[in-house]
Amino acid sequence: MLIPHPLLGLRDAQEFTYLGDARLIERPTSGDEAELADYVFQRDNPAGLHRELWFHEQGDRSWLVVTRNTLTHEILGAELARDVSLARKEGTA
Amino acid sequence: MKFSGFRVVAEALRGHKGWKPLWRDPAPQSEYDVIIIGGGGHGLATAFYLAEVHGIRKVAVLEKGWLGSGNIGRNTTIIRSNYLLPGNQPFYEFSMKLWEGLEQAINFNAMVSQRGILNLYHSDGQRDAYRRRGNAMHLTGAGAELLDQDAVRRMYPWLNFDNARFPIKGGLLQRRAGTARHDGVAWGYARAADLRGVDIIQNCEVTGFRIEHGRVQGVETNRGFIGAKKVGVAVAGSSSRVMAQAGLRLPIESHVLQAFVTEGLKPAIDGVITFGAGHFYVSQSDKGGLVFGGDIDGYNSYAQRGNLPVVEDVVEGGMALMPRIGRARLLRSWAGLMDMSMDGSPIIDRTPVDGLYLNAGWCYGGFKATPASGYAFAHLLATDTPHETATAYRLDRFARGHVIDEKGVGAQPNLH
Amino acid sequence: MTDLSPLCALGATAPRRVTHGALTLAETPDCGLASLALRTGTPPPSLPLPEPGRWHETDGLTAFWTGPGQWLVEMPGCAEVDAAAMLGERAPGASVTEQTDGWVLFEISSTGGAEPIERFLERAVNLDLTRFAPGHATRSTIEHLGTYVLRRAEDRLGIWGMRSAAESLWHALETIAGRQG
Repeated sequence: MLIPHPLLGLRDAQEFTYLGDARLIERPTSGDEAELADYVFQRDNPAGLHRELWFHEQGDRSWLVVTRNTLTHEILGAELARDVSLARKEGTA
Repeated sequence: MKFSGFRVVAEALRGHKGWKPLWRDPAPQSEYDVIIIGGGGHGLATAFYLAEVHGIRKVAVLEKGWLGSGNIGRNTTIIRSNYLLPGNQPFYEFSMKLWEGLEQAINFNAMVSQRGILNLYHSDGQRDAYRRRGNAMHLTGAGAELLDQDAVRRMYPWLNFDNARFPIKGGLLQRRAGTARHDGVAWGYARAADLRGVDIIQNCEVTGFRIEHGRVQGVETNRGFIGAKKVGVAVAGSSSRVMAQAGLRLPIESHVLQAFVTEGLKPAIDGVITFGAGHFYVSQSDKGGLVFGGDIDGYNSYAQRGNLPVVEDVVEGGMALMPRIGRARLLRSWAGLMDMSMDGSPIIDRTPVDGLYLNAGWCYGGFKATPASGYAFAHLLATDTPHETATAYRLDRFARGHVIDEKGVGAQPNLH
Repeated sequence: MTDLSPLCALGATAPRRVTHGALTLAETPDCGLASLALRTGTPPPSLPLPEPGRWHETDGLTAFWTGPGQWLVEMPGCAEVDAAAMLGERAPGASVTEQTDGWVLFEISSTGGAEPIERFLERAVNLDLTRFAPGHATRSTIEHLGTYVLRRAEDRLGIWGMRSAAESLWHALETIAGRQG
């Protein structure tokens, strides 16, 4: 697979490591134990479009949010996780 | 129709005209005591033990495709009970004991072959970890022997002992481990369950659950509604998709695992060998092909095909361990869906929906567990209490902090 | 009195150099290296910094982009002096860290123009050559080893690798060069 890095263009997926569902960015802050357990352990695990975190470990060490189809491995886009996170904070502020 | 040596000879003389299909092809009835979703190894084994051990025969196994078309039909066929943690090892040793009596129990040749598994170690630290694991295995009667380099050399003189980076220092041997004919296991359980009255219904896809007042009433399928007092789900990599129809999220990600077979060769490897410094395991099938595999690709996938970097990684592991594998030509490779759980261990438990039970999270080690998984799931379905070897496999163990994490890598499924 | 003689990353007192066909690989021990990271709100440093995926040379110093807001700066001839302090003077308020001793630099040059270099790159590293013209620099892996690859010119590359894995990286590079030589 080739991942379209927003800054560096198409890059081999071998340069990246995988974390999982992009909702891991949304770490709960309420202090509620059940909510945290849900965040840590439960996953939607969809068959189809999946927004997920990839780390460009053997590259520029950016975290990316990649949109990928888990049925076909087609990659539909990638954003810097930093931008996603900042936009989310602005949205909730 | 009972299989025996006499029967094989008699059929040979009659031109093999007396063999019958191994199981019926029944239409679904309107209601069952138990419905098992998933006609793979675990589902078929569950149906067999429900009928055999608990006398529950009004059972249907619903399979979306054809029987054994998932991971039971394509895997690296290794059976072993060499786990470490108390939540796991007794269960896998129970499974090994069931393997040892399986062919008599189901009257089918599953080609169970206790040819031994050798886990190689490459450093002092790894040796100590294997010594500890071997001791844990002895506690359950699984048996284990820690071999030094000379002993490994006597077994497999052609291994690359002097690899510059990962020299082989010895290995942990479980002689009772080995291989079994993967689809023979599916066929054998299917036939034995069918003979005991279980309906195996293929090409029957579950499209939803009927749940009233928090209790399951049955399942909607492409062949209509089928009622059931209890429903057990054993669908491996599709667990999240099926359970989502009941409104449940799971501590599971589906990942892709690749494996490979070479052309048929003369006998070259008489046991199972695993590389301790990379991710590579190999055995030789009775047809002669070298069967080997490595790590999962590492990203969520339902594609049933993998990517080339892992092919390279597996082949590099093989070349580092046994350079002569480079002379063998690859015949085929395939990939399957793995229900990777958050701690690398399985789930056999009730769910928040009454009458709905889950058997999932086998990661890429489900084949060896097939008999015990079926046995324990049948026990749970029949008695509503966990089998004594499967008490740790609770669905709520994650929230309670009782994870069973053999590798100690945390809630990161692609690292288990 | 202890006699301390400095060694190159490949273990000898003199840098290693080998030629295979059109390609020459040269261990280059005299280049200093320092990292530069801009902090929020600090003034821009007095040397121009390249965009993502690029290198840029000013006054003999070559900076290449390593990540958002981060660069490595090559300082030829400065391996035995306090390179970070020199760079720090030009980038007040930025985070500057000495890197020389952690890394090894191999320069690869071709006497046959771009073609041997591009053939070498195709075998060494998984990069799109149509987007790796002179002026580009990136981090990637060669034989599983993390490296920075700089396309200095059509016929010249610079490859930075981990000093602790210098021999492994050299072996990988020389094997590739030898096969095409």
